[in-house]
Amino acid sequence: MKRVLVLALLVPGGLRAQDSTQTGVRIGITYAPGTRPALSVVPYSAALLDTASTVLARDLEQSDRFEMMSAPAAARGQEARNLDLRPFTAMGAAFVVTLSTEADGVYAVVVDARSGQQSARTLLFDAGARDRRLAVHRGADEIVRAIAGQPGIAATRVLFVRNGRIMRLDADGANAELLHTAGWPALSPAWHPDGRRFAYTAFVRSGQPIVVQDFGGRREMVPGTDEGLNITPSFSPDGRWIAYAHGTEAGMDIYLSEQAGGGGPEGGAWGPPQRLTAGRFADNLSPVWSPDGSRIAFISNRARSPQLYVMSADGTGQEVLARFDFGATGTTSAPAWSPDGSLIAFHREVGGTPQVFVLDVAARSLRQITGASRNEDPSWAPDGRHLVFVSSRTGPRELWIVDLETGRLRQLTRLGGTRLPAWSPRLSPSEGRE
Amino acid sequence: MTLSDTPSRAARRRAGTFLIAAALLLGACSKAPPASVAPAAADSVALRARADSLASARRHDSVTASARADSLVRARADSLARAAEAHRADSVRAQILRDSTDAAPGTASGLDAGSEAAIAATVSFELDRSDLSADAQRLLDRKVAILRLSPRLELQVEGHCDERGPDEYNLALGNRRAASVKRYLVDHGIADARLTIISYGEERPADPRPTEEAWAKNRRAEFRVTRGAR
Repeated sequence: MKRVLVLALLVPGGLRAQDSTQTGVRIGITYAPGTRPALSVVPYSAALLDTASTVLARDLEQSDRFEMMSAPAAARGQEARNLDLRPFTAMGAAFVVTLSTEADGVYAVVVDARSGQQSARTLLFDAGARDRRLAVHRGADEIVRAIAGQPGIAATRVLFVRNGRIMRLDADGANAELLHTAGWPALSPAWHPDGRRFAYTAFVRSGQPIVVQDFGGRREMVPGTDEGLNITPSFSPDGRWIAYAHGTEAGMDIYLSEQAGGGGPEGGAWGPPQRLTAGRFADNLSPVWSPDGSRIAFISNRARSPQLYVMSADGTGQEVLARFDFGATGTTSAPAWSPDGSLIAFHREVGGTPQVFVLDVAARSLRQITGASRNEDPSWAPDGRHLVFVSSRTGPRELWIVDLETGRLRQLTRLGGTRLPAWSPRLSPSEGRE
Repeated sequence: MTLSDTPSRAARRRAGTFLIAAALLLGACSKAPPASVAPAAADSVALRARADSLASARRHDSVTASARADSLVRARADSLARAAEAHRADSVRAQILRDSTDAAPGTASGLDAGSEAAIAATVSFELDRSDLSADAQRLLDRKVAILRLSPRLELQVEGHCDERGPDEYNLALGNRRAASVKRYLVDHGIADARLTIISYGEERPADPRPTEEAWAKNRRAEFRVTRGAR
């Protein structure tokens, strides 16, 4: 695992030259050293437990909340009840994660290495578990919750585009799956908040409609998108609405459609299009909802350069959200609103190259996250501290994940030509949202 | 860096007139169009479906009128018509998604080789721009002449971009490039209905290499014959 502090790549003078908000630019890492407890996962030899403990250890590592330590050789295969903690405490481990095989399934047990007390116990899977791997991911997320107070992000998936096809990947990089198998290309996947459906732009013969598809392959076209250019779909947090940009000869505007039945899993038909922006010869696109559903951030070039704006969810009160210098600030694109509503990630060109930024919505201050090569199209993990984005730092476009707290970076894909990632909500083994 | 050219006032006026006309058309076809439905999103399929269902509702009306129409029957006919319309729109959308490819079949231009080449000639754009250079205008003037001589000929203008801008924004830029070309042709007397536009953004590069030369080739509008001259 490379530990690259991306924030350290920034040159403050260079940033000031590009950005009008120099007073608002904060550079630095909010992570305070010493807050990551040392944790060790006991390895096992039995195939089932070995896989589970390996997946668990990687999930905990990728939560970026722990200093991971290898378990002492003598601990291999030991379950919680007969575990000797002394070698762990000698290494300085604060927590030890062991597995426990019981009558009703396999449990993960978190032991406080100093006191010897069990600090958490969570069922990983039972004999009937439908998706054992996802079940282990959920167990890892529960362990993170028990120790750090907030669940991890192992039981999540990422949608992205490669060669005009939509693919899905587990957050640990496993289970790459081609989802979209019709003959036409697709772009811009967006998760429905129920985790069971997603929307995208389809390139069909007659134009580019917005399609909502479930993981069983059932597809429906959003009414009003059967002609012209329709791009950048986004669901409201309650799943009731879909927003997208519709293009005509006069420009692009943001429209909404409401699903009858309130956006539930058995939701009804999508309603007629309702227009939110009136851009005369301007392009308004990439709508994203605030987590409380009250506002929509979007990209508009109404002042010539495409920049970040915000409006109420009914289209009123449109205003600039990320300040910019006319003629100096680079093209701004691909906003993503963080799960707690406090931040918006996007990419903006700096010296002609896109870089990922994070805007503090209340303070309107900017933080540049990346600085080397092209970095674009960020999407938030449900923990609000990880971003997946596209980077060409190793040559071809690949997906990378950055932890904003520690600056740690990991490469998610090694496929070449991957782009437009969308991070799911937390998923349950039945594929839906927990 | 500017991203859009300023359209001519005439084009704005024309677009305004078109929007008003479309709004009136919508109003004429349906008694109560949802106030929020923008004319821009109205499509001919929906309009046709609505007209069909109204016609069938009217036929139903005349029958019931002769048998002393009552409002219950009318309401029922109305809801049946609405359901039929919704069903028809659904099946049109389902049919579009059943297509297994985005490639439209080629249409013979029916033109002589020289005219065919002139119609197909690609128009280039500067980085992040959609305005037309003098060269581009000369190419379009030749197309205007051919379109005038061949009044049946219809074209689709495809807007394309290089790979450097944001992927999704490039679809908007390609749309603006195609619209800019169409506006020029319409301003020079070609009927609006003979020209459709589509944007492919950076999705269909003419040259996939990451070089200045390839990017210049990729910032373009292409022309596809959708109805032949003969």
